Amino acid sequence: METNIIVTGVGGQGSILASHIIAEAALKEHGETCRVRVGETFGAAQRGGAVASHVRIGEGVYGPLLGRGTADLIIALEPMEALRLSVPYLAAGGTVVMNTGMQVPVDVKVGAVEYPSLEAIQGALQRLGKRVVAFDGGELASEAGSAKVLSMVMLGAAFASGLLPFCEETVLSVVAAKVPQKTIDTNLEAFALGKKTYQQAVHA
Amino acid sequence: MASVVLQPAGHREVLMGNEAIARGAVEAGLQLMAAYPGTPSSEVGEVLLSAAPESDYYVEWSLNEKVAFEVAAGAALTGARTLCAMKNAGLNVAMDTFMTLPYGGVKGGMVVVVADDPDAHYSSNEQDTRLLAAYAEIPCLEPENQQEAKDMTKAAFALSEDLELPVMLRSVSRISHASGDVLFGEARAERNEIGFNKHYEMPYRWDVYGPPGAVNKHKWLHTALVRAQAKANESPFNTLVKPKGAKLGVLATGLGAAYAKEALNRLGVGDDVAFLKLGMVFPFADKLAKAFLQGLDTVLVIEEGDPLCENFLRALAQEDARNVKIFGKGISRIFEPYGELNTDIVTAAIAPYFGAQAPAAAKEAIRQELAKLVIPRSSTLCAGCSHLGTYCALRTALSAYPEDAVHIVNGDIGCYEQAGYGIFGGDLQIDNSASRRYQAESPYDVLDTLYVMGSGISMAHGQSKLGYDKGKLVAVCGDSTFFHAILPALANAVYNHSNICFLVLDNRWTCMTGHQPNPTTGLDAYAQEYPRMEILPIIKAMGVEFVRTADAYQKEDAVSAIADALAFEGPAVVVMEGECQLQRQRRVKKTMAKTYVNAEACSGCKTCVQLGCPATRFNAAEKKAGIDGVLCVDCGLCQQYCTENAIRVRRR
Repeated sequence: METNIIVTGVGGQGSILASHIIAEAALKEHGETCRVRVGETFGAAQRGGAVASHVRIGEGVYGPLLGRGTADLIIALEPMEALRLSVPYLAAGGTVVMNTGMQVPVDVKVGAVEYPSLEAIQGALQRLGKRVVAFDGGELASEAGSAKVLSMVMLGAAFASGLLPFCEETVLSVVAAKVPQKTIDTNLEAFALGKKTYQQAVHA
Repeated sequence: MASVVLQPAGHREVLMGNEAIARGAVEAGLQLMAAYPGTPSSEVGEVLLSAAPESDYYVEWSLNEKVAFEVAAGAALTGARTLCAMKNAGLNVAMDTFMTLPYGGVKGGMVVVVADDPDAHYSSNEQDTRLLAAYAEIPCLEPENQQEAKDMTKAAFALSEDLELPVMLRSVSRISHASGDVLFGEARAERNEIGFNKHYEMPYRWDVYGPPGAVNKHKWLHTALVRAQAKANESPFNTLVKPKGAKLGVLATGLGAAYAKEALNRLGVGDDVAFLKLGMVFPFADKLAKAFLQGLDTVLVIEEGDPLCENFLRALAQEDARNVKIFGKGISRIFEPYGELNTDIVTAAIAPYFGAQAPAAAKEAIRQELAKLVIPRSSTLCAGCSHLGTYCALRTALSAYPEDAVHIVNGDIGCYEQAGYGIFGGDLQIDNSASRRYQAESPYDVLDTLYVMGSGISMAHGQSKLGYDKGKLVAVCGDSTFFHAILPALANAVYNHSNICFLVLDNRWTCMTGHQPNPTTGLDAYAQEYPRMEILPIIKAMGVEFVRTADAYQKEDAVSAIADALAFEGPAVVVMEGECQLQRQRRVKKTMAKTYVNAEACSGCKTCVQLGCPATRFNAAEKKAGIDGVLCVDCGLCQQYCTENAIRVRRR
């Protein structure tokens, strides 16, 4: 077994937490047979930079980084980051679970470049992989109770894809252990909303 | 919940490399830890601090790496197990003591953790500090993964005590900031006894100058190195797998070994390859390497950084195996001597030697085509960061000078260094083909020089003494940098009659590395209250005639203070005050911002956008500015700079 996942977003969105929840849940179920690696790339800045975590689970896993074109699943908290990581990493049979809420980079604001349309990004992702499920995760996060739980919404949706190699009980126990005590319910609600949204999107 | 590093033996968890190093130190019975934060090493200290209340070791954030190294060294001389941690560049700061301490060695185990940064994700350079371990003639360990990072750290203390030498553990970003499964081991219950013997096993042991003198102590160091080399040949971290009749060999060190194993698997060729994995890279395991070379005709060397073991192997082959062809990063190059490795790069580089071809990713043409759709996300300061106010005020004050003036703003290291990153909308080429006229249209183009901690002010001073007269000379630094490296540089500039404008950007925290406290914070490392060490009186005590504070969030105050400092003949210092917004927001619970743009009043001039704040938006089609209410912290800066009174504050 080998599963290669990327969780990406913009600094402050919670993508790193989501990647560590995936890694820890995988370890809980496969720790005796598999190695687990999380390779993180983030800039020196505290907030607002492009962040990507490579999560690898498998018997033959040694290094922290995915190979080109090997991502089974890309969980993107921001559309441009979905594209940035999908271009090199998404496998031809891979799935992208993407939040449609844009975080416009300063480069666009000063007029140096233009942010492509959401349709153009989704079209590009379709050409690169097999399945793209995109929705407004921010809205669902607010529905769950806080804009801060966006990463849990996306994790729930990713879980519904069936590509994460662990059962729901395991991942929920890790979520409960990793988030602040007071926010457990909000996080679990966000996870459930994301899961439901993915299922509805796929069966629609 | 108990800190992750205090979990019992047998516990298994996905740990970040830096957490694994901290756990290794706990398992070894750590007694003292000192560090100056530096990405990607800071979490070693942070994790040990988080577990400190339930532990018996001491941890401190020292004010620079040389101090941290000396704190750890001094304690190790009395027999304690000590650790200091730093980033690659941090070791350069500690070099003076680092090079000299090995002459007398240590009594307690001393481990020097250095986190290198191949590919310069967070650093000014890509230096390979393993070379500095070899330079200082101390053992160097290099982990392949997080489990080894933990195991090696633990083993390094015992090795250090055995050899009586400090031991370097060289990590890299992809170990320190990556995570992997780690199985916890037993923690040592006993602690080293503390004592002091001036002549411990050697006359004037801890006095390099003392009899029998530095040369004799260097001679002792070489006797220790002979023992260290024997250790390397027997080290459990060095392994040789050599199938019968193998002609092709792979020598891989540290993380390079992980990439090598994956590459061989991908090519499906591992079975008849001789594989020498080195985790203890200095001293070079010569006997093991000789056994490895025997009978091979080709060796591929895979190491992250410079060709360290490759060159040792070449030297050995010169004597022992002249016909073997060695490929790596040095003479016969299969890897670039810059950037970092990964499995794709290693697979492509070694494939031809197996008569194989690296598997290509599907849809390569589509990938190339779609890559053009990807836009950059340049690094920015945070929404409402006080540095935005300082840089905007500086630009405003400088704009009063003639347009053809060429001012030089010398930068320094911290969040505020991002004012030298630029915004390009694409990759720049090093041959200048894509360069353009310097134009400060955002704070991200303000800094003209940017090197290392504390370097800006003395560069400005040099320019001043040379008589540079094409524009104003400015230097900036942060509060943590002030105590790290500025104190002697500022005293030097004052003492030598400099004529520069120096801005201290005091936001009260060491922010870029994760908001560690420093003397200006008002807290010690353990988050206990401590009276703030004020920067202004220190500068005054140096005899600076022009020195004042300014509020980075008050445009008029900030601009006038900087303008006066620029006009002043002699060294002029302004301490720009404004606490880190992220830290402030953690106390002041933020709801949606009240600041908004009145679209009717907005002229679309982009002055607010040029402030560089991530919370400002611009609608190019409608030519109107906007505010992102989630990001905005109502700092009021853009409101003050708006020329049309279009940025307003909602009353609730």
